[in-house]
Amino acid sequence: MQIKLASVDSVIIYFSNTISKQNSLKVKSAYKLLKSLDDKDLIEIVPSYTSILITYDIFTYNFEQIKIFLNELLKDLKVEDESSQELINIDVYYGEEVGLDLQRVASRADISTQEVIKIHSSKIYDVFAIGFLPGFAYMAAVEEKIITPRLETPRRKIPKGSVAIADNQTAVYPQNSPGGWNILGKTTFELFDKSLEALSPITIESRIKFNPISKDEFLKQGGILEF
Amino acid sequence: MSFKVIKAGIFTTLQDRGRFGFTHLGVTNSGVMDEYSALAAQKLLDNAQDTNILEITFAPVELKADANTSFCVTGALCEVFINEQLKNSWQVHKIQKGDVVKVQIILEGQRVYLAVKNGFDIAKEFGSNSTTIKESLGGISGIQIKNADILPYKQNSEDIINRWHENHIPKYEKELVLRVILSYQEESFSKEEKEKFFNSTYTITQDFNRMACKLSGEKILSSLDGIISEAITFGSIQIPKDGQPIILLKERQTIGGYPKIGTVLSIDCFKLAQMRIDTKVRFEPIDINTAQDKLRDFYSTFA
Repeated sequence: MQIKLASVDSVIIYFSNTISKQNSLKVKSAYKLLKSLDDKDLIEIVPSYTSILITYDIFTYNFEQIKIFLNELLKDLKVEDESSQELINIDVYYGEEVGLDLQRVASRADISTQEVIKIHSSKIYDVFAIGFLPGFAYMAAVEEKIITPRLETPRRKIPKGSVAIADNQTAVYPQNSPGGWNILGKTTFELFDKSLEALSPITIESRIKFNPISKDEFLKQGGILEF
Repeated sequence: MSFKVIKAGIFTTLQDRGRFGFTHLGVTNSGVMDEYSALAAQKLLDNAQDTNILEITFAPVELKADANTSFCVTGALCEVFINEQLKNSWQVHKIQKGDVVKVQIILEGQRVYLAVKNGFDIAKEFGSNSTTIKESLGGISGIQIKNADILPYKQNSEDIINRWHENHIPKYEKELVLRVILSYQEESFSKEEKEKFFNSTYTITQDFNRMACKLSGEKILSSLDGIISEAITFGSIQIPKDGQPIILLKERQTIGGYPKIGTVLSIDCFKLAQMRIDTKVRFEPIDINTAQDKLRDFYSTFA
């Protein structure tokens, strides 16, 4: 663990320099501990794959003091396993009219689209980071068989709810956005919902399972087929 | 009791000090770009520091009052009128029912702030009035102020006679020095690259908005191609592959994967917020203890 300067009022804690499930569990455990302090002088606590950024009140802590405080707090960090993390099911319609890249991902892997769907939906994914757009959760790891790089030319518009993969990561677009990920399907699940007090049902501590549904079911849930 | 917006201007947004505590979900902080000017306006009106305020980027803006209050305008050098009568910026003025307030033309700088006594009565979203259009959060329904919008305030008839000291009104110079705290991936920049960075003059390009300010000038190289995405703070200086620095500002993305050489002291980001395209900037190193002293002094001025 290493604590470095980020800005006049922020430090960044690096837990490792490689992405792995174990390193992510370290981040999540430390994040949980930091949140549990409920310390108003820790203004922002922002976890990512291997790091946590902390913005603090400089009228309470100077740089040396925050470093000592964090080192002390995290030196015997107990890394929790994933059993305490909430599993969230997301219904996905993997139809070719919404999964624009389904066929291409299948051809590339030399398997059927049905197999791509089965592979993508049979795994439980961990959230490694949230960003890019509000509620955009980077989940991993996608099975090696269907790993697909980003599109060379990003699309101008990826519709809200699109479920997509890029390299070994998968995500759901929380709103319409330009993007270069390969789209496999679509969901009506809201990742950024202003009616929720927490704004998003997903946090870095969530685990995600995609559940294939029929076109009828998707439409019944209010799904939109058009792009 | 409100202002009716007669002319909204092309990009006038409601802001405050920003939205905190949702960054872990990808929600940016947003907030006023130039805290010096905004906090000065609140202090002049004897408002709480986090009171909301209009950030005006293009004139003309015209508001019609239907109740008494006091207001003041700070920030970029501009012409302010009450009913066609020219008034001083950086000074509190009383207005009465029927008065028309106009920000006619911005002469120097980029952003004008207009505050009223006790702020506008507009519901906060997730702890803040700050408008972030890409997130549809804050302001009035998540977008910029439009013609015919209503900006409610509580009637106020206090006599507030305050004026910012002439010597403390910022002058917007042709060249700006930005003090930088070496941070994040600074070790991935060699001694030579750092020297280049601190000894060169950069130019503000047209890629300058509430999210970021892209500079052009001497190329800086990191030994890293990219990094594992991590959270980025206000003022951090990303060096993408083209070697041209990008300073991240109030509406920055919350995480990013470019190496960063350092972070501009926030006080200097507030000055940067008032610079126009083609302004020259230079970087100067500052150590963390001095930087924190400066920032504490800065906020104490407005306490």
